[in-house]
Amino acid sequence: MTAPPFSAEQVHAALRAVVDPEAGMNIVDLGLVYGVDVDPPAVRVSLTLTSPTCPMGDLILDEARQALAACLPEGWTQDIRLVWEPPWGPQRMSAKARAHFGWDGQ
Amino acid sequence: MSALPSSGGGLAVGWRVPLLVIGMLSLLAGVAAGLLRAGWGVPLPDAALAAQHGPLMAAAFFGTVIGLERAVALGRRWAFLSPLAAGAGGLLLIAGAPPFVALPLLAVGGGLLTAATLVAAARQPALHTRILALAAALAALAPLAWLLAARDAAIAGWAAFLVLTIAGERLELSRFLPPSPRARAVFVGIVGALLLALAATAANAAGLRLFGGALVALAVWLLRQDIARRTVRQQGLTRFIAVCLLSGYFWLLAGGLLLALQPPGPLLMDAALHAVFVGFVLAMVFGHAPIIFPAIVRVSLPYRPRFYLPLAVLHASLLLRVAGDLAGLPDWRAWGAAGNALCLILFIATMVAAALAGRAEAQRKTPA
Repeated sequence: MTAPPFSAEQVHAALRAVVDPEAGMNIVDLGLVYGVDVDPPAVRVSLTLTSPTCPMGDLILDEARQALAACLPEGWTQDIRLVWEPPWGPQRMSAKARAHFGWDGQ
Repeated sequence: MSALPSSGGGLAVGWRVPLLVIGMLSLLAGVAAGLLRAGWGVPLPDAALAAQHGPLMAAAFFGTVIGLERAVALGRRWAFLSPLAAGAGGLLLIAGAPPFVALPLLAVGGGLLTAATLVAAARQPALHTRILALAAALAALAPLAWLLAARDAAIAGWAAFLVLTIAGERLELSRFLPPSPRARAVFVGIVGALLLALAATAANAAGLRLFGGALVALAVWLLRQDIARRTVRQQGLTRFIAVCLLSGYFWLLAGGLLLALQPPGPLLMDAALHAVFVGFVLAMVFGHAPIIFPAIVRVSLPYRPRFYLPLAVLHASLLLRVAGDLAGLPDWRAWGAAGNALCLILFIATMVAAALAGRAEAQRKTPA
């Protein structure tokens, strides 16, 4: 395999460009990225939304695909999916996101 | 590759647009009916439509767009029957069909919205999804109350449909900074009081006072708990959404106070209801359209500072209208109502301009 090294960290970095405009915070720090699986030359990502009544699912998926496509090495494929299990909860947010929303003592 | 390919959502984007257009026709007729009521000589296919201003705006227009939003979120084809029924009910009203035909269809739209929301609630059983389902159920009941000439109950029902839909969605977002168990209990208590007051409106005019009191409590709760208090310190679209929300909460508070206290004023109801439906609900729509429209019709609406212009016209014209209502100045009310219509036109023009800019941007990014 001659594909250049590509790590899950790079996938996370790319997905930080996808921002929930309402929250003003990216999907990685919001804890919406459930799984990143790098298996050269393919990347699999599972994402969730905070609520099944949120109509922005397709849009966020598309933005994530574009963000990933912009940094994937030549010849790699990506598979991004929306999952609902387990349901999202605020404990999934990063310390940065918690501070952003004003959690005390975090 | 197009910038925003359709990737599901249950119904191709090409079919969502006609539904949105049908909803916009109800909006157009509803606004025209409203202007006629405020004293403007607007041509209407049937002058009797002026009496259907409420159903056209709340049940037909909002029933269609909220139904569409929920159906896209659920991603099931049958859920799109909800906006179809609401939109068709609106078209029937515009065409002059008898109310006993159009209003049950609007109720069916609300019933299907309830079903779609219950399916979403089963995916994620939580307080906020239950509140949304409750709100949807009121969209099914209010048209029937209107048909039975229980006007206060119908109007309060539509107000509760929209207010609880928004409150449910804000509660969902409040999980970014979760309310304390006590704050959640207070929220549930307020919703309970709102429902009791709603039931009371069917029996006694004093029910509206209680209803107003519950709206005041809800506005205070939202002002205290909403993450908009935090996100307003950010920039761009995030701040714009927060400004829409926070300014809307003040109108909800004002509308609730007017209903609860019922100060003397010749057109008190016009003032109170438009504070809620225009000041609160429409401000919320202005804030969320730049993120909901892209989700529904797959166009990108890049933020511009000029988004604030329709919002400013909304608040200024509503202030004029409410002052005119309470002081007994019909000219102020008429100009305020015209300004309310103007802010909608400005808003739609702003969104169309943003969509064109978004398309040009997308074409630059992905040269064919």
